[in-house]
Amino acid sequence: MSRDKVIKENFTKLQQKSRAAWESLRERPLILVGTATCGRAAGALEILKVIKEELAKSGLEASVLEVGCMGHCYAEPLVTVYKPGFPPICYGYVTEGIAARLVQDFLGGDDPCLEFALAALEANDMVPAFTDFPRGMIEKNIILDKCGLIDPENIEHYIALGGYAALAGALGRDPGQVLEEIKASGLRGRGGAGFPTGRKWETCRLAPGEEKYVICNADEGDPGAFMDRAILESNPHQVLEGLAIAAYTVGARQGYFYIRAEYPLAVARVKKAIEQARQAGLLGTNILGSGFDFDVDVFQGSGAFVCGEETALIASMEGEPGLPRHRPPFPATAGLRGKPTVINNVKTLSYVPHIVERGARWLRETGTDGSPGTAVFALAGKVINTGLAEVPMGTTLREVVYDVGSGIPGGKAFKAVQIGGPSGGCLPESALDMPIDFDSLSQAGAMMGSGGMVILDEDDCMVEIARFFLDFTQKESCGKCTMCRLGTRQMLDILEAITRGQGKPGDIELLLELAEDVKAGSLCGLGKTAPNPVLSTIRYFRDEYEAHIKERRCPALMCQSLIAYYILPEKCERSCDACVGSCPVEAIYTNEDRIKVIDQQKCVKCASCLEACPPQYKAVIKLSPPELVNEMGA
Amino acid sequence: MKTVTLTIDGRTIKAREGEKLLWVALENGIYIPNLCAIPGVKHPAAACRLCFVEIEGYPRPVTACTEPVVEGMVVSTRSPRVDRLVQTAFELLLSNHQQDCANCPRNRSCELQRIARERRIPLRVKRLRKLERELPVDDSSPALRYDPRKCVLCGKCVWVCREKGTGVLGFAGRGFGRRITTFGDVPLGQSGCNGCGECARICPVGALVEKKADI
Amino acid sequence: MVLTEEEKRVALEQTGSILENYPPDRGNLIPILQQVQEKLGYVPLVAMEEVARHLGVPAVDVYSVATFYNQFRLIPPGKHQVKVCMGTACHMKGGHIILDCWKRRLGIDVNQVTPDREFSLERVACVGCCTMAPVTVIDDEVHGKVTPTRVDGLLFSFGVKIPKGQQKEGETVEQG
Repeated sequence: MSRDKVIKENFTKLQQKSRAAWESLRERPLILVGTATCGRAAGALEILKVIKEELAKSGLEASVLEVGCMGHCYAEPLVTVYKPGFPPICYGYVTEGIAARLVQDFLGGDDPCLEFALAALEANDMVPAFTDFPRGMIEKNIILDKCGLIDPENIEHYIALGGYAALAGALGRDPGQVLEEIKASGLRGRGGAGFPTGRKWETCRLAPGEEKYVICNADEGDPGAFMDRAILESNPHQVLEGLAIAAYTVGARQGYFYIRAEYPLAVARVKKAIEQARQAGLLGTNILGSGFDFDVDVFQGSGAFVCGEETALIASMEGEPGLPRHRPPFPATAGLRGKPTVINNVKTLSYVPHIVERGARWLRETGTDGSPGTAVFALAGKVINTGLAEVPMGTTLREVVYDVGSGIPGGKAFKAVQIGGPSGGCLPESALDMPIDFDSLSQAGAMMGSGGMVILDEDDCMVEIARFFLDFTQKESCGKCTMCRLGTRQMLDILEAITRGQGKPGDIELLLELAEDVKAGSLCGLGKTAPNPVLSTIRYFRDEYEAHIKERRCPALMCQSLIAYYILPEKCERSCDACVGSCPVEAIYTNEDRIKVIDQQKCVKCASCLEACPPQYKAVIKLSPPELVNEMGA
Repeated sequence: MKTVTLTIDGRTIKAREGEKLLWVALENGIYIPNLCAIPGVKHPAAACRLCFVEIEGYPRPVTACTEPVVEGMVVSTRSPRVDRLVQTAFELLLSNHQQDCANCPRNRSCELQRIARERRIPLRVKRLRKLERELPVDDSSPALRYDPRKCVLCGKCVWVCREKGTGVLGFAGRGFGRRITTFGDVPLGQSGCNGCGECARICPVGALVEKKADI
Repeated sequence: MVLTEEEKRVALEQTGSILENYPPDRGNLIPILQQVQEKLGYVPLVAMEEVARHLGVPAVDVYSVATFYNQFRLIPPGKHQVKVCMGTACHMKGGHIILDCWKRRLGIDVNQVTPDREFSLERVACVGCCTMAPVTVIDDEVHGKVTPTRVDGLLFSFGVKIPKGQQKEGETVEQG
């Protein structure tokens, strides 16, 4: 029997077994509970417990599965119910009471409790589906498509829904053909800079040497991004399959997952996925009878943002501090232990099985010419629907913020969107209609980066956000090269002075000079991109910098040193004590008119009183510059 | 070994192919500022960011310590872009350097003074804030005096301590807190250092000095 | 921080048994240190020396790695570990104010331990619960939407009484 027939036969057996298991699961009602980290933080494990208890109590027959993240983090905990005769319905903001009712009334009776439903997963006549909402029309799930719908700890679910078919298909072809497919697809690395994946693979494939490695970079360190974690927690097999295909293509027999130790659940799920793949014969020696050997280990990163940089990642795997090295040589020719090494991000590898399965042309149907496919964003900050969203490249920022994210909460005004985390930049309202892809973002002074997207509103100070990101990169700088170690430190000192109201004329110009030189002169990508948040905020919000420096005023009323809290006497209700009780430092006293007054000397500006003051009074306000307090009293 | 011909600042120079540009220039009497480069080390640290040069056909300045020479290479050690980068890197180092030249044992033999002289960059930095490091001077060794506030983190002492000394020196911490120190940050006198003095001889500044040189 | 003889003995014993599982390959350094911290809660100097001997590298190289990565703690943590999320979303929703509160209430700075070793305070990058910002993680339990009063409430739940208005900066909280 020919080699590709053997592979096909072996895989078909595996697929049939998995499909049978998946279908038997669907014979009775099925309840999915999202228990990724975001769900757990919202209490998903308690919900799971309630559902199991209720089922036991009522004696109803149903299967319960723990699944990953669907991306609707704002509505966690999420529960999805499949019941024959009904469309699959997803419920959000599930409480223990709602969970109990879903079992009693929906499974026990025939009331689908639509008042708690978020949407149906498929179009139907009964409940609006996700695709009926503007968000659903814009979203296009490629790499998130199975997230939240399968048990990430069960390889059979992944296989039953088409998983590992791409690996089986690839193994039946020549590695060169697989490489051509990836090259033709125009896939670009989702880790940050958007380097063409096919070119990286080709370099490694052509590099001399028997021993080669493939590494999945899951050292997600952007402080506002969590999509890699969500994918690993929700569908680890997809990434593992991508890694195996990469290994086959470049000729590697050993692969690694480099995962942040701060992601314990992701580590556990990937380890389990590896174990299951080994047992199914999809890892190890002679995979599916193809003669190809490949195995994978997990390496836990120790908490250093700079290790997202390929050469630093390699250094840490070799037992060194995570110091980047000069490139060239690039890891694709001399990487781990000096051997040719391909390092790809979680998201990049997630596309690989889809491309191999459906072809390069299929990927190019989505996205822009320069950036085919989709982009996955982690929406956070001042946006209603926080969570994950996968949209075609070329979608505008406005669609992402307003249609997918449902806009800004509390009726506040949009100010900026920070894209790409510490390497990215802040884009203003005028950039909202820009189609997003790798190239348009870098032209606008931001960067796709990791895909973190933080929405900022009128209450957010742009100098402060620049300071925040620079503080982050400065702390995460490895300290090896002068430009980054001292350049970012100098810039941070200036920004701190500005946010404290101690900025000097010429500080903006000095910031710009240093930013240019740190960009041009740093050794690695961290330093080369660290100034982006500063450059982009100066470019679009220079007036805010000037207000801080010239008027000692924070227009967004955010910088603590430049504001004061003040209780408006005419609005203070007098008999209410909410603010007094809320103050952690006893800075609020009652004057002879029973009006509450803040002792500015004692105030630590924690905002407790502002939040405690009942909304019908709104007596506590912020003032900038703080000296305005004296004028108010007069 | 194959020989190649290249041009540096208009001078035609023959060199071994693959040799790093920095060494070729220095061997031929063309000065390029540098602090962290160590001859013969396979992977240059490329940490000090001072040896920038322009190479024809390259879009931006590159570090000479990492660039292997090739046939026909055309190099200039000065250009407005190079000068600007070198000045910034140099000023950044000075802003973080405890400056007391008059009382420093390395006065007149200090590499920082040399760079200032060669590139006509004042040793007093006006535009940057002083970045103080709160690290104590280590006077515990009978042979050596270590002032970490003067250290430019070139790493030469760490290298030579391994090659010729006892291997007690190393880097610790990261970012602005990166420092050259011993295991557990113990004073040199208790670290197992034998006082051979190789580190003081290779130190380009006055961070590590031999005590007899003090007098 | 000076370790007791007992602490040293435990550290050496545990480190020894961890090292049995690893061949002396420098690539194992970080996994070994992670194991040591997992077992002991921190990586003491005596353990680092032991690891260096096993791997045949200078002790200062192990120190170099242990002081480079955020994950490694060189002193024993408090009984309760308070981790304040400093991710972007938490920062924009006042995470720094919450961190200040913890500092004030515990009377310690970040990466310090209260003298009674009850609490230690750390800042962490995004824990991925941005929708619940600002977030504090205490002993692996995530607390969302934390306010200054909630900080006091959480401390109270650990049996710490805060005599109102009597707390000064730099003073350690008394155990109730």
